Amino acid sequence: MDLEVRGINKRFGATIALDSVNLKIASGTIHSLIGENGAGKSTLGKILSGVYQLDSGEVELAGQAVTIGSPRDALSRGITIIAQELSLVPSRTAADNVYLGIEDHAGPWVRRGVIKDRFEELTNTSGITVPNDRPVSALSIGDQQKVEILRALARNAEVIVMDEPTARLSVEETAVLKTVMRSLRDQGKTIIFVSHFLGDVLDVSDEITIMRDGKIIRTSKPSDETHDSLVEAMTGRKAGDAFPAKHPPASPTPVLEVSGLTRGIQFADISFTVGAGEIVALAGLVGSGRSEVARAIYGADPIDSGEVKLQGNTIKISHPATAISNGIAMIPESRKDQGLILDRPIRENIALPYLKKLSSVLMKRRQENSLVSENFQAAGIRALSSEMSVRSLSGGNQQKVLFARSLAGAPTLFIADEPTRGVDVGSKRAIYELMVDLASKGMAVLVISSELDEVVGLAHRVIVMQTGKIVAELVGDQISESAVVAAAFSTKQREGLAS
Amino acid sequence: MTTVDTASKSVNVKSLLSKYAIVWVTILVFIFLSASTDAFLSIDNLRNILDQQSVVLIVAAFTTIALISGGFDVSLGAIYILAPLVALRVQNNINSAWLTLLAGILVGLITGLLNGVIVAYGKINSFIATLATSFIFFGIAYLVSDGTILRVTDINMRKVATTHILGLTSATWIAFLVIAIAWILLDRTRFGRYIFSVGGNFEAARLAGVRTNRVVVAAFVLAGAGAGLAGTLNSIRSVTAQASDDFSIIFSVIAAVVVGGTSIAGGSGAIWRSVVGVFFIAFIVNGFNLNGVDPVYQRIIQGAVILTAVGADAWSRRDKS
Repeated sequence: MDLEVRGINKRFGATIALDSVNLKIASGTIHSLIGENGAGKSTLGKILSGVYQLDSGEVELAGQAVTIGSPRDALSRGITIIAQELSLVPSRTAADNVYLGIEDHAGPWVRRGVIKDRFEELTNTSGITVPNDRPVSALSIGDQQKVEILRALARNAEVIVMDEPTARLSVEETAVLKTVMRSLRDQGKTIIFVSHFLGDVLDVSDEITIMRDGKIIRTSKPSDETHDSLVEAMTGRKAGDAFPAKHPPASPTPVLEVSGLTRGIQFADISFTVGAGEIVALAGLVGSGRSEVARAIYGADPIDSGEVKLQGNTIKISHPATAISNGIAMIPESRKDQGLILDRPIRENIALPYLKKLSSVLMKRRQENSLVSENFQAAGIRALSSEMSVRSLSGGNQQKVLFARSLAGAPTLFIADEPTRGVDVGSKRAIYELMVDLASKGMAVLVISSELDEVVGLAHRVIVMQTGKIVAELVGDQISESAVVAAAFSTKQREGLAS
Repeated sequence: MTTVDTASKSVNVKSLLSKYAIVWVTILVFIFLSASTDAFLSIDNLRNILDQQSVVLIVAAFTTIALISGGFDVSLGAIYILAPLVALRVQNNINSAWLTLLAGILVGLITGLLNGVIVAYGKINSFIATLATSFIFFGIAYLVSDGTILRVTDINMRKVATTHILGLTSATWIAFLVIAIAWILLDRTRFGRYIFSVGGNFEAARLAGVRTNRVVVAAFVLAGAGAGLAGTLNSIRSVTAQASDDFSIIFSVIAAVVVGGTSIAGGSGAIWRSVVGVFFIAFIVNGFNLNGVDPVYQRIIQGAVILTAVGADAWSRRDKS
């Protein structure tokens, strides 16, 4: 089913999201939509799937003009969207979720047997398998996504819009998803892939459409594009080097010394150091215990045994408040769930950890304002004022608010967990520069990232974890994507558990 | 994204309309009643409304703080009944106005502490936890009073609530004082920031170094103290208290706070909103009474009005996203 849009316009209040967009998407292809935050790619995907209505313009499906009034309407025409935030019923099984609302029934009774048979048939024909013996809340994000895809297939979807499907997936889950996408295409389905991840886009697409400021810049084949050419088209600027130059300190004095850190089944016997001016990356697969180690150092989770030394002094950190007063700052893995108070102003979000210093009986607003504006600028937040709610900012700027918060404490140890997740290309570079700058000023920086190029591009030293243990430490020239991957997968592959 | 300048002005007017919607509606109700009902716009009537609403305002002030912190306390009705019974026992033995009030507040503090500790450290949903404790508090209320009616033995005690100062009753002034305290706490202190952050995103607040559990406990303690003070003041005014007294005030309070626009999901709200919410409902009830509307229909209409107000608010929010 070919899909064509002509002259589509869409506005949100004062913002023009789509400006006379024309696009043709051929049936049975994987068509990527890329662009910076606010470029209009998600909006276009949502218009096609009926989530938003267009202000003017035409949508043609298989040569016929259609009006898509609602997601239900879109679905009846064979178009569906898999949104970034999955919409499953967490306490039900995969099959229950797949057939939710279209259950086989006899009168008021659901025919469980028939549903089970149909589910098996569906997984056989599509080649997508997920465990059906437990509630979907017990499945990994990757499997949950597969349930959503199955749900789309069960409703005979021909066109599937995937909005940032890989954003929350690990490297290996992403690989599985790409295989699923290719096999769906080979079965004749059309996939519209909205993504920030240019590596995935180049790898999996048949065609790529680049958007900027609500307009289409061009549509091309991946063989005609490179990472840099895409970035240039998306940002409208010449792409420089992705990462600032590395300047590892010669013999850094240790700031953080961790020894024998152990916590339940999450990690055991973790020992490493981070020196002043050093950028150390904790790498490994999702679930290898990277984030858990960082959280334990920060006092977010308790440890069973082990020792944490900060600038030579052993400290016991049982709450993040203790970490902060000892000069540790952490940007957590998920800025929305663990980082920001979205409905409060930027100012309050930056000042939150330091309110004791900024108040006596009442808040000292003048001192607060000066602390905030100083770090607002240092972090390069782009917003009209610090009184804007954090929710109204783009992902990149939200992340910078967390940087500003960390900077305001003038920490000696700075931990950043997935600092660039869901951040557009322009902001990424700014965030890298910020981290390199912090290190050059003598801060000890500990970075956790699922993006290998980031680990390789930033770190002076890489500590690779696997199932809760440190399996390798790479320094200087040893650091490469293949070395990190080899270490991260090493034992697993030997045991044949790589899948 | 491209911003179009001409549109921004109308957007501001629209947001001003929706942000202060409850204020405009309350003013409209006030104007309508002033024009349609003779007895409404008189000093005596308005003074009366203030006096009647004083206890509701006291409970509402700290309930607002608890709700913003993400805590839903349904045991306030029970505390409102229990506190005066203990306070009147104190009054019967030691005839001191201050100690009587203090005893009522103290009961609120202790019961609030219990609620807070259960919710924060027991990790039990606040609605369920306080539903359970309210049974306990009601039970204790019967124990304290032996199931009898307790009376204020010294009629002079009433002066605590009924003394006229600058034309308003002391109960009204106490309510103003409580509102001022709650407003300053929420708007001008570190504690207020913590309340918003804990209700807005508990885990984010914790990782930002906020002692989240202590904040939750403090919010319940304050809510309890407010209910204890309000219950005691009310019983001193009416000179009696018993365990089977009307505790429906908690429904009026929650209705007023929610109509005012404080979210029961936590993280957003304001003291002024609850004050406006209290008067919105009070004006409507007063209008009904002055026009002799049957109390049975009053309740039905009141419920419908609250639903409409909250529904309109939900609609306007949905529009934004």
